[in-house]
Amino acid sequence: MFDKVLVANRGEIAIRVFRTLRELGIGAVAVYSEGDHEALHVAYSDEAFLLGPTPAAESYLHVERILDAAQRAGAQAIHPGYGFLAENAGFARAVEEAGFVWIGPPPAAIELMGNKTAARTAMRNAGVPIIPGTTDPIGSVEELLGLGEEIGYPLLIKAAAGGGGKGMEVVEEPGDAERAFETAQRQGQSYFANPDVYVEKLIVDPRHVEVQVLADAHGNVIHLGERDCTIQRRHQKLVEETPSPAVSPELRERIGSIGVEAARACGYRSAGTIEGLLTRDGEYFFMEMNTRIQVEHTVTEMVTGLDLVCEQIRVALGEPLTLRQEDVRMSGHAIECRINAEDASRGFLPAPAPVTGYREPAGPGVRVDSGVAAGYEVSASYDPMIAKLIVHGVDREHARRRMLRALDEFWIEGPTTLIGFHKALLSHPCFVSGETCHGIVESEELAARAAELDGVVAQPTGASAATNGKVERVRTVEVDGRRFEVRLSEPEPEWRALAQRRRERVRAAGAGGAGHDAVVSPMQGTALSVRVSDGDEVEPGQVLCIVEAMKMENEVHAHRAGVVSQLSVEPGQPVSTGQVICLISSQS
Amino acid sequence: MAEGHDTTAGKLEWLEELREQALHAGSEKAVAKRREEGRLLARERAEKLCDPGSFVELDRYVRHREVEFGMRDRRPYGDAVVTGYGTVFGRKIFIFSQDFTVFGGSLSEVFAEKICKVMDMAVKYGCPVIGINDSGGARIQEGVVSLAGYAEIFWRNVQASGVVPQISLVMGPCAGGAVYSPAMTDFIFMVEGSSYMFITGPDVVKTVTGEEVSFEELGGAATHASKSGVAQFTAANEDACLEDARYLLSFLPQSNAEQPAWSAPTDPVDREDPELDTLVPDSPNHPYDMHDVIRRVVDDGEFLEVSERWAENIVCGFARLGGHPVGIVGNQPRSLAGVLDIDASNKAARFVRTCDAFNVPLVTFVDVPGFLPGTAQEWGGIIRHGAKLLYAYCEATVPKLTVITRKAYGGAYDVMSSKHVRADFNFAWPTAEVAVMGPEGAVNIIYRDRPAEERPELIADYKERFANPYTAAERGYVDDVIEPRRTRPVLISALETTLTKAEPRPRRKHGNIPL
Repeated sequence: MFDKVLVANRGEIAIRVFRTLRELGIGAVAVYSEGDHEALHVAYSDEAFLLGPTPAAESYLHVERILDAAQRAGAQAIHPGYGFLAENAGFARAVEEAGFVWIGPPPAAIELMGNKTAARTAMRNAGVPIIPGTTDPIGSVEELLGLGEEIGYPLLIKAAAGGGGKGMEVVEEPGDAERAFETAQRQGQSYFANPDVYVEKLIVDPRHVEVQVLADAHGNVIHLGERDCTIQRRHQKLVEETPSPAVSPELRERIGSIGVEAARACGYRSAGTIEGLLTRDGEYFFMEMNTRIQVEHTVTEMVTGLDLVCEQIRVALGEPLTLRQEDVRMSGHAIECRINAEDASRGFLPAPAPVTGYREPAGPGVRVDSGVAAGYEVSASYDPMIAKLIVHGVDREHARRRMLRALDEFWIEGPTTLIGFHKALLSHPCFVSGETCHGIVESEELAARAAELDGVVAQPTGASAATNGKVERVRTVEVDGRRFEVRLSEPEPEWRALAQRRRERVRAAGAGGAGHDAVVSPMQGTALSVRVSDGDEVEPGQVLCIVEAMKMENEVHAHRAGVVSQLSVEPGQPVSTGQVICLISSQS
Repeated sequence: MAEGHDTTAGKLEWLEELREQALHAGSEKAVAKRREEGRLLARERAEKLCDPGSFVELDRYVRHREVEFGMRDRRPYGDAVVTGYGTVFGRKIFIFSQDFTVFGGSLSEVFAEKICKVMDMAVKYGCPVIGINDSGGARIQEGVVSLAGYAEIFWRNVQASGVVPQISLVMGPCAGGAVYSPAMTDFIFMVEGSSYMFITGPDVVKTVTGEEVSFEELGGAATHASKSGVAQFTAANEDACLEDARYLLSFLPQSNAEQPAWSAPTDPVDREDPELDTLVPDSPNHPYDMHDVIRRVVDDGEFLEVSERWAENIVCGFARLGGHPVGIVGNQPRSLAGVLDIDASNKAARFVRTCDAFNVPLVTFVDVPGFLPGTAQEWGGIIRHGAKLLYAYCEATVPKLTVITRKAYGGAYDVMSSKHVRADFNFAWPTAEVAVMGPEGAVNIIYRDRPAEERPELIADYKERFANPYTAAERGYVDDVIEPRRTRPVLISALETTLTKAEPRPRRKHGNIPL
C-alpha cells in the first residue's frame, strides 16, 4: 500500500479521494492555488503545497509544480481527480517518468481515447457500434456539405480533442454549415489547441447512457452497469441516475459487454466510462470514452456498494480486481443532482458569489460530496459546481422522493443555485415517468417554476429574503406551548416597484443619457473574440463579441441596428458585468 | 331652481346632477380630442397620481363671475381646474390639475382662488403640493384679474418654498407668465412630445429675432432637460411621469419640519463591494463612470437622477443608504473630466439647497480637476455661478458626507463639501489626490527655473509627496482613508452618526446668495 498520495485537484473531488485515502490509512497530500488558501480540500488534507497564482494554468494545470510538490511531500502516487490534468497523457507520462505511480489508465489509452477520431476508428475496428459519420477530421465546409447529402441532417460537428460540450455545433441545414464549422474549429483551437473537427449524424431525442468499467493489469475487465445522464443542458450533465429507466437487464448485458470490449480494445486499466447514445429503438452507439473517474461515479457506488477510488488505487498497485463480473450486485436506484452556482432563469448563466449561508441535507440514503462552506467564495476562475447531492432508494420513485426531500433540506445562501431547478425538474411529469425531458430542461416554464421554488426554501429561523415584492422573515413562536414557524410576509416599500419600473423604462426606451446606445456585458469573464470593429454597421441580434465566463462561451448581441463606436474590448481582455462593450448609434 | 328640488330625495338628486355637470365641464369634442392625443383628463391625472381611490376633490361647484364677452352664459362647475388632496404611499398631498378641456385651461380669478386654497392648506397642514400644468394661459376675458390671480399663486409659491415640497408636472402648454409658477417650485417634470414651456412662443420669436424654431425645439421636454436645465425630469408618457413623481416624493419629507421617511433596507448595510477596488483606473487621465460608484454604494443600486441630461459633468440625484434617503452629488469623470463649469455649478447648487431645505442628508463623491478655464466661462460669470455652489455647501446644515475618489484639486476641492465648509465626515480612497493642482502643473510653477530634463523626476517626486490623500489626512482634513470596497458600510455608519445633527444658523432675514 502507498504511504502518501497526492491529489492534483481541488474542490469536492479532492476531498472525495482524500476520504478513501484516509479509510485506507494513506496520507493525503493536497495542492492548492493562491485563490484556494481557505479551501476545504486544503483543510481536509494531511499536508498541503501551494502551487501558484489562481489561474489554473499557473496552478492546477502546472505539471512541474505539481511534480515538485509530490517530490517534496514524498508521495508515491498521484491521483488526478477529474478535469484539469486528468485526461492529459503527457501529464500521466511525466508522473510515471518522475517515478510516481499514476492512479489512472495507461497514457497510451488516454491518448487514443483523447483523440475522438482515432478512438472511433479503433472502436469500429474492434466491432463496437459507432454513430455514422467521419473517422477522419474534415477539412472544409464543402466536405461537411457532402456528408450532409450522404447521411442526412441534422449533423453534429465536434472538436477532435473536445469534451464537456465545448467545441460542439449542430448543423440543422446546409445554411448553418459555415458558421458551425468555424465555431467548432475555433473552440477546438482555443480550448484544446487542436482545430481538427469531425462530423457525425445527430441522433434525435437520444438517451445519454454510459457504462462504468473497471480493468486491472491482469486482463480482467468488468462493467458496473450503466448511468443515465440524459438530463443535460448544452451538453453539460445536470442529473445522473442508475439504473437507467430505459435499460432492461438484457440491454444492460449487451451494452455492458460493449463497454468491456471497448476497454479491452484500448488496453485499458483503472476506472473508465464508455459514453454512448441509446436511441428510442434500443440501438446503442459508442460516443467516446472518459479515461478518468467521473463526476457521477457516485451513483454507481451507491447501487453497487463499491468504492471506485479504492478500486483505482488497488489497480494502480498492480492488484487484481476484488470482484468478478458475476459478483457485481446492484441494489435499488441512485440519483445525483449537480448543485451548480448557475441561474436557470438566465440561461444557466454562471452566478459566482460568496456563500453566506450553507447547510447540507442528511438522513437516510443521502450523500453530499461538496467542497464549500459558509463564507466560501464560489470563484469565477473554476467550475461553478458547489456540491453533488446523491440519494439512494429502493426504487426510482423512492429515490426521486428522497431527492426532493433532500433538496428541500439543502440551504445555500449567496449564489443563485440549481436547487430550485432540480426541484422543478424532479417534480415534472416528464421526469417522473422517466422520459428524456428534452426541451423541458431549458424551457421557460421550468425556469419560472424553479425561480418560484427557490423562493420558498426552508430557511433557518430569522432569515429574510425578498421575493415578488414581499420581504419574508421566518419567526418561531410558541402558542400554548406548541411551536409554530410563522412566515411574516411584509410588503416591500411601495416605492420599490416604482423604482424598478422606472429602471425598466429607462432600459427599454434608452432615455438614460449615454446609456441608451450602450451594449453592456451581461457577465464577468474574458473576451474570447471580437467580431466587429468601430464603424461597422450591425443588424439587431448580430454577434458583437464572445465572452467566456466559467468556461462557457456567451455571445453578446447587438440590441439594435446601427453603427458601432467606442468598442472597448479586445480578445483576451477581461470584461466585467455591466461593462460597456461598445455603443451602437442608430443612423438617422 | 328647477322644480322637484324641495323634497329630501329631490335635493339629493340635485346634488347628483350638479356633480355630474362638474364632472363633464369640458365639451365632448374637447374631451375626444384629448383622448385622441393620448392625454389623460385633468381629474384622471390627479387620481392616478394618488394612491387608488384616495383623491378627494374640493371646490367642484366653484364658478367664475365674469359677465363680459358672453361669459355670463358659460359658467361650468369647477371652472378650468381640478383641486383636492389625496395620498401617495399613504402620505397626504395637495394637488391642482389644470383642465385644458374647459376654456383651454385658461386661468381665471376663481381658478387662481382654487389653487391658492389648496396651496394654503398644504402649507398649513405641512404637506407637499403637486401642480399639474396644462393651460393656454391667462383668461383674456378677465383681463388684469387673471394677472392678479397668477401673482397670488407666485407669492404663495415663494411662501411655501422650502417649507413644503412643491412639484410641477407640465403635461401640456405652459407659456408666458404661467411658466413662473413651475419655475419657482422644487422640481419640474415634463412629458416628451406633449408639453412645452416658454416665455414667448415661436411666432413672437420669429418677429423679434428672426429665428425659426418649432414649439418642441424652443421649449419641449428634451430642450429643457438637456439645454436649459429648466426641467429636472422628463418622461416618455403621462403615466410614467405620474409614477416618477410618486417615486420622487418617496425621498422627500412632508415638510421641512419632518425628516425624510426611513424604510427598512433590503440591501445589507454591511455589504462591501470588491468591484469598487478596481474601478478607478491606474492612469489619472482615464475616465470612469461615477454612476458605477454611486450604484455600487447605495441601497439596491437604486438612483433617481435629477437633470441627468443637463450638465452631465456633475451627477445629482436621490438614493437611499441603509434605508435613509440621501441626496447624492458626484463629479463625473466621464464628462468633461468632471470639471466644474457654469451649468454644473448651477445644477449642483440648486440640488444642494433643495436637499438642505428638506433635511435630506448630502453625500458627495469628489473627482474634480478644477474649474473650467476660458473666456466663455469667465465672461459668462463662472465666478458668480461657482460661488453659488460654494455658498450652497457652506450654508447647508444637513449631514454632509464626502468621499474623495480621485482628484480634489484647487478651489474645487474646497467647494466640493470639504471639511472646511463643515462637512461632517470626509473620507478618501487611496487613489485620492488632494492637492492645489495636478503634479505637472505644480512642477511647472514651483520649479519653473529648472531645466526640462529634470522635470520627470520632479514630477515623480511631487506625485509621491503630494498626489495622495495622506497630506490631507495628516491634518485631519479627511477623517479616514478607506478601501473603496468598504465605502457603503463606512458611509452608512457615518450617516447614522450624523442623523441627530442640529446646527443653529445665524439670525438674519436671509443670506445673500450670489444669484
